[in-house]
Amino acid sequence: MIKLTNVTKVFNKNRPNEFTAVRNVDLEISGSSITVFKGPSGSGKTTLLSLIGCMTKPTTGRIYIREEEISSLSDRFLTDIRRKTFGFIFQGLNLIRGITALENVMLPGYPTGETNCILRGKAIHLLASLNIAHKAESKVELLSGGEAQRIAIARALINEPAIIIADEPTAHLDTRLSIDFMDNMEKLKNSGKKILLASHDPLVYASEIVDRIIEMRDGLITKEQA
Amino acid sequence: MLWIERQRYFIDFALSSLMRRWRKNIALVIVYTLVVFILASIVFFTQAIKREACTVLEGSPDIIVQRLVAGRQDLIPARYADELRKITGVSEVRGRLWAYYFDPASSANYTVISTERPGRDEGCVLMGQGVARSMHAGKGDLIAIRGHDGSYQSFEVKDTFSSGSELVSADLIEMSGKDFRGLFGIQEAYFTDITMKVRNAQERTVVSRKVLNILPDTRPILRDEILRTYETAFAWRSGILLIIFTGSILAFLIFAWDKATSLSIEEKREIGILKAIGWDTGEVIVLKSWEGLIISLSSFLAGIIFAYIHVFFASSTIFEPVLKGWAVVYPRFRLVPSIDPYQITTLLFLTVLPYTIATIIPSWIASAIEPDSAMRL
Amino acid sequence: MIIDPAVIALFTGSFLVSLIILIASWLGLQIVMFWNLQCGSEKQLELEKWTYLVSTLMAYAFGFEILSLFLFVYTTDSLHNLFIGAMCAAGTLNTGTFGYHTLGIKILILILAGVWLVMNHVDGQAGDYPLIRKKYIFLLVIAPLVLLEGFLQSAYFLSLKADVITSCCGSLFSSSQTYGESPLSLMIGFPAGYLQAAFYGSAFLSSGLGFFYYRGFNKLGWFFTISSTGFFLISVFSLISFVSLYFYELPTHHCPFCILQREYYFIGYLLYGMLFGGVISGAGAGILSPFRKIGSLQGPLPIVQRRLTMTSLFLNFFFVAIVTWQMWHSNLVIDR
Repeated sequence: MIKLTNVTKVFNKNRPNEFTAVRNVDLEISGSSITVFKGPSGSGKTTLLSLIGCMTKPTTGRIYIREEEISSLSDRFLTDIRRKTFGFIFQGLNLIRGITALENVMLPGYPTGETNCILRGKAIHLLASLNIAHKAESKVELLSGGEAQRIAIARALINEPAIIIADEPTAHLDTRLSIDFMDNMEKLKNSGKKILLASHDPLVYASEIVDRIIEMRDGLITKEQA
Repeated sequence: MLWIERQRYFIDFALSSLMRRWRKNIALVIVYTLVVFILASIVFFTQAIKREACTVLEGSPDIIVQRLVAGRQDLIPARYADELRKITGVSEVRGRLWAYYFDPASSANYTVISTERPGRDEGCVLMGQGVARSMHAGKGDLIAIRGHDGSYQSFEVKDTFSSGSELVSADLIEMSGKDFRGLFGIQEAYFTDITMKVRNAQERTVVSRKVLNILPDTRPILRDEILRTYETAFAWRSGILLIIFTGSILAFLIFAWDKATSLSIEEKREIGILKAIGWDTGEVIVLKSWEGLIISLSSFLAGIIFAYIHVFFASSTIFEPVLKGWAVVYPRFRLVPSIDPYQITTLLFLTVLPYTIATIIPSWIASAIEPDSAMRL
Repeated sequence: MIIDPAVIALFTGSFLVSLIILIASWLGLQIVMFWNLQCGSEKQLELEKWTYLVSTLMAYAFGFEILSLFLFVYTTDSLHNLFIGAMCAAGTLNTGTFGYHTLGIKILILILAGVWLVMNHVDGQAGDYPLIRKKYIFLLVIAPLVLLEGFLQSAYFLSLKADVITSCCGSLFSSSQTYGESPLSLMIGFPAGYLQAAFYGSAFLSSGLGFFYYRGFNKLGWFFTISSTGFFLISVFSLISFVSLYFYELPTHHCPFCILQREYYFIGYLLYGMLFGGVISGAGAGILSPFRKIGSLQGPLPIVQRRLTMTSLFLNFFFVAIVTWQMWHSNLVIDR
């Protein structure tokens, strides 16, 4: 379902600060599973995830999502695929301060033009399934770390994506909340979603729900274990 | 429908994002409103005063014939009127008497006219509100006017003109023909000038050509010409004022550009998040355009409303001296409120257009933030 | 030179629109030269971002061109008092040089910019920017016209001189200015009978072509473009030559501007709006037909084309309907 052939991403090409973040990566990920990208910071995990997540285009190489070659698509189409296929959970959670939790969850649905009552209903349903519905009208800056984490998960799910991408999701969480997070991921996996995680937290990559671990260093895939 | 729903979301979000940063936006809105207010005041004022002049001239004669002696205006003999009556197409010819009178007590210039209206009693005058104010005279009072021989004659103020058309009648004193001639020493056989009515509008030029043929020492003036001259003068004045204010518009634009380009870290972060969670560059531009539009429209509306109040209810206190610049007798008058899409479009071109163009590129730069920047925060 | 707030506004407007069109075409030129979607280089990514800027700039330019056309007509109309013999915009435009040229080029730019936006919209419907070079070359054609518009408009306003009283003389000497023959009078001179036939003939032809084109006869694309444009031109002619008479109910008043006034319930805005909408959507629909062969446009293009054709047919139909209704119910009787 996801296929990368010989993908390379270079930043600042032909300039003194030229930097190759990902080099010659070949990769295939299929089925509902949890894949963890493991490696030290600067190893290219984040860049690889943003390439897969259609956030940026490869300098060379091809990326296929559901048999469709995406590296030569227009920006607008890429965005369209991104919001229909992927849900993102970021390291810093990246919630927008000053608006309510509910609005944050609904935000990815705005450009799709879904009617307000359907979108709102979906958001409330998601919040309820994550046991956080009582915080729907709170401003996000007033939420605890664990609550904010669950809001971020709900936001990633609002457009019903097939693939969840999470970059260092447990970086700011304590052990209990990290375990909590992995439980939620397991639920999602069981509901048929494909999950891609980047992490160097043993709580994540050593978890028994993980199906596949890909180790990275200096933009290269160094080791794989299933 | 999908499109409308999307725009509703964008407007909602734009509003909430403006509110969240109201501290940054309030200064912009105030300056913007002020600029619109100034320009709108100028435009409204000129338009209204032009309209006023038109209304005034509506009742004035089609052609005025003056006599020139050695290149200067002189009294016109009454017999000239008989000559003019012979021209075909002329429906009415009438001699007029009018004068300027400088009143040393109130140190102001008034216009004195005589009318041959029946029932105009000798020894009585009618006066405009402006005259009444500066002479401190009201109905029933006696006023003294200095005649050509140095003696003062007193007149009873019979009434004052209604304030409706004050712009024209403000400095007016009206008296009977006999009093006028007595006061200024003008013989029966002379008038100040002669007025003519020509029924067919297209014949006016031909008639005035004939006047010149019959009476070579006269100068015929068409009403249309007076109108045209007034209009040019007012348009010119307001145009010049606008050009003077170009500087302040430019300053405003630089301010707006600066506001639009200097995104706070928080704003950049938000746009990065929006991009990352699935907003397209085009959609962020739409969001930013709505923000700009909301700022523009609210400031524009506020500016227009303030200007409207300023011009039509507060007598344009700020610009009066520059734009009117006539006599000292015109302290207070109220213009008839009028506003049309033409003035609004003009103002849009002078304010919203430059603002919008100044902010297109900054908002595009903001929206072009890479979506993966959110991954690296 | 006449200094008036509206004239200054028009100057400002044309200067700023020229500026953004210049920026847009400079970016467009870069895109035409260096575009390569297959390549993932940073330059290409940069160019892709620019396409958004160009679209935004053009959308605004189009909006301001509409307003500028309105303001231009309105300004010339309100300035008519300043000139002897000018009764409305028609007279003012004939005063000074390039009045009608400015109006003409404004209309042309409006139509072209509308068609450009249609093309841009279609291009955005496909995943791989199939029309990118074509639309930016088209943009490079529009840009000089906008600059020319700015030049003609400035020349026109600079050449205007109000007939005002000078201290030395009164009326007679100021009427010595003579003006050339108005292009309108040429249109008025056209025999109304033939034109009436041409008006209904072209309406019939254009709607017939549009109908078949809508039903899938793609070969008719260019013909539909030509017939829509033809209908537009003939309609403008007709409006001046005979349609206006029925609105004014005067046998000799041919002015194309007076119907914009309140006395005629602003009907002119509706009529001209429908004509412009009709020609932009009609010409746009037809011009796009050669691009149906492009793979990525095979899905979305026919949908857009059908919508445009439908819009054009509707607008033209209502235009003809209103005009015909007015001719039927007007109190004016013209003897032939």
